[in-house]
Amino acid sequence: MGRDILIVGLSHRTAPVAVRERLGFSPADLPAALARLTQLEGVHEAAIVSTCNRVEVVACVDEEARGLDTKITEFLGAERNIARDEFASHLYVHCGRKGVRHLFRVAASLDSMVVGEPQILGQVKEHYEEAALAGTSGSVLHRVFHRAFAVAKRVRTETAIAGKAVSIASVAVDLARTIFESFADKTAMLIGAGTMSEIAARHLKTHGIASIVVATRTFERAVALAREFDGIPVPFDRVAEYLKLADVVIGSASASEYLVTPALVQEVLRARKQRPMFFIDLAVPRNFDPAINALDNVYLYDIDDLGVAVAGNVEEREREAVRAEAIVEEEVERYWRWFASLEVVPTIVAIRTKVEAIRQHELEKALATLKDQAPRHRELLDALTSSIVNKILHAPISSLKRQDEHGEELDLIASARRLFDLELPPSPPDDEESS
Amino acid sequence: MEPLLLKVALVAYLLAAGALGRYLLVLHPAPRVLGLSLLLAAFLGHGGAIVMRSIAAGHVAVITDYEALSLFAWLIVGVYLAVELRYRLPAVGAVVAPLAFAVTLGAFAFYSGVRELPPNLRSAWLPVHVALAFLGNAVLALAFCVSLVYLFHERQLKEKRVGRRMRRLPSLETLDQLNYRALACGFPLLTLGIVTGALWGKYSWGHFWSWEEREVFSLILWFLYAGLLQARIVAGWRGRRLATVTIIGFAVVLASFVFGHVLFPGKHGGTFD
Repeated sequence: MGRDILIVGLSHRTAPVAVRERLGFSPADLPAALARLTQLEGVHEAAIVSTCNRVEVVACVDEEARGLDTKITEFLGAERNIARDEFASHLYVHCGRKGVRHLFRVAASLDSMVVGEPQILGQVKEHYEEAALAGTSGSVLHRVFHRAFAVAKRVRTETAIAGKAVSIASVAVDLARTIFESFADKTAMLIGAGTMSEIAARHLKTHGIASIVVATRTFERAVALAREFDGIPVPFDRVAEYLKLADVVIGSASASEYLVTPALVQEVLRARKQRPMFFIDLAVPRNFDPAINALDNVYLYDIDDLGVAVAGNVEEREREAVRAEAIVEEEVERYWRWFASLEVVPTIVAIRTKVEAIRQHELEKALATLKDQAPRHRELLDALTSSIVNKILHAPISSLKRQDEHGEELDLIASARRLFDLELPPSPPDDEESS
Repeated sequence: MEPLLLKVALVAYLLAAGALGRYLLVLHPAPRVLGLSLLLAAFLGHGGAIVMRSIAAGHVAVITDYEALSLFAWLIVGVYLAVELRYRLPAVGAVVAPLAFAVTLGAFAFYSGVRELPPNLRSAWLPVHVALAFLGNAVLALAFCVSLVYLFHERQLKEKRVGRRMRRLPSLETLDQLNYRALACGFPLLTLGIVTGALWGKYSWGHFWSWEEREVFSLILWFLYAGLLQARIVAGWRGRRLATVTIIGFAVVLASFVFGHVLFPGKHGGTFD
């Protein structure tokens, strides 16, 4: 039984934020979900990558298992409590070499909303580590993920893709500048703290925003952030009161419901004498009710809208992306040759063939030196050598078979191949150097 | 000579409109410089034409429809160029230039020779009243152009069509502020135009107010803008609403011209009896 890599998921390319926000896993849910995922028949190892732009199950499965994509789809629906037809049409399924390529591309930020943005690699790493901690990642996922990290690094050092990347945060600030002429008399408010909203706040600060109000669920965090930006921390439950001070509102809080509703904004606008407000929703699920965009003097952009804005100027980045794709392709090829060679059955067959060839060769040599070539002698020598070879091979081959049943230690196959001097791909994937 | 000069200016307005329109679409800054230069050249040529005509007539050339429209177009461009010195608003220029072209073209539709100034208009009130009223209307016309750009920009933002064109547009804040300032400027000019007209009327015809179409429309406009300014100051009316009412206000200006000059010509339409 061979192993295969299977990816079932959806991303900003296939699904709108309204679907992604419902299917996303919070870090707290991951261990239990991963445990249930690996209980599915035919799933040996699994990791879940869940960011604002994608939700993907990466699994190592039985090569022969059928209908696993359907099972994983059902698993996703059951975990997130969503009816199948609400998201199934947005899913993609990649297996084998295509699966490896997909994972490499994701880690290398080629599949990102902003191609080349650096956050995705960290996010993939975090989610792989979750799986490793939960004990649902084994040698296959270990190898493929670490290879993906190494490929991402290679892409970043060998192409200018990251250099040309325009971040969501900087696009948000550019948009704010088309609304406001100057930031010198403006106030920004951060609701929740995420990497992207912090970057956005930093951009606003460098563009001279007068003050920044920070509200996070834990007040200590707000105080720490506010200190960093020279801002004002406010308690999370008083966001509504302070909203009227804010010209730019950046949301990245984790909340299951909208934190800001049209009714609230209308009230705030009256208090502000209708001075314009720019809402930037970086959270998934979203923090701001999309309906507030319909209000006069209010502009709301969520993460998808900003992604579209980012996609505007891409020429150079696309050229770099072509080079990056070539690197990914080369790496996929290398990895796949290696991966395919590490099947148990072909390895056993190869060992047997090799040893049998040696035995036959030595047998013929021995027989040639014998004066008395009676058929009896041939039979005797044949039986003797066969028995020695079988006895010696018994232990290593049963170890290999056992590991196949348990689905552990892919390295054993590699070692066996090396010990028996069997052909290995020119350069087996090295783990990403410690970083 | 004078109509020829105006025709050259007319062509320059059209070319400026093309260049400034192009500026909105391409990233290269060359069309902006070209467009503004053409607009400035047209403005100077147009001004020359007005001066020549005034010298030929021996009085400020605002008596015939042709003269009135020509002066109006010229003042719109002048007000815009003055504003452009302070703010960088080529996007507004892309609206002003075609408007100037259209109004100047309209002037040619009413082309007539120089007219003798009727005796009862020979007064120092004429340049004062005309300057104030026309300048007021020109400022309101600029507010109209700014409002159009505002509405366009606002729509792009709301519908999330963000591209390079967006970077060519002034910020909404600037457009809104400019619109407000134009109103704050245009309103007193309009008021003074009405007051000087009334005083002049009292001296020349013996009554302050004659309920002519132009006067009625000016009054409508006055109340409209008074209300708008009040709403802005008290209730914070701004943005889309302010822009929409500004556009309606300019429609009233146009309507007053059509009624006052074309349909029911009175004193303001060149009939002074």
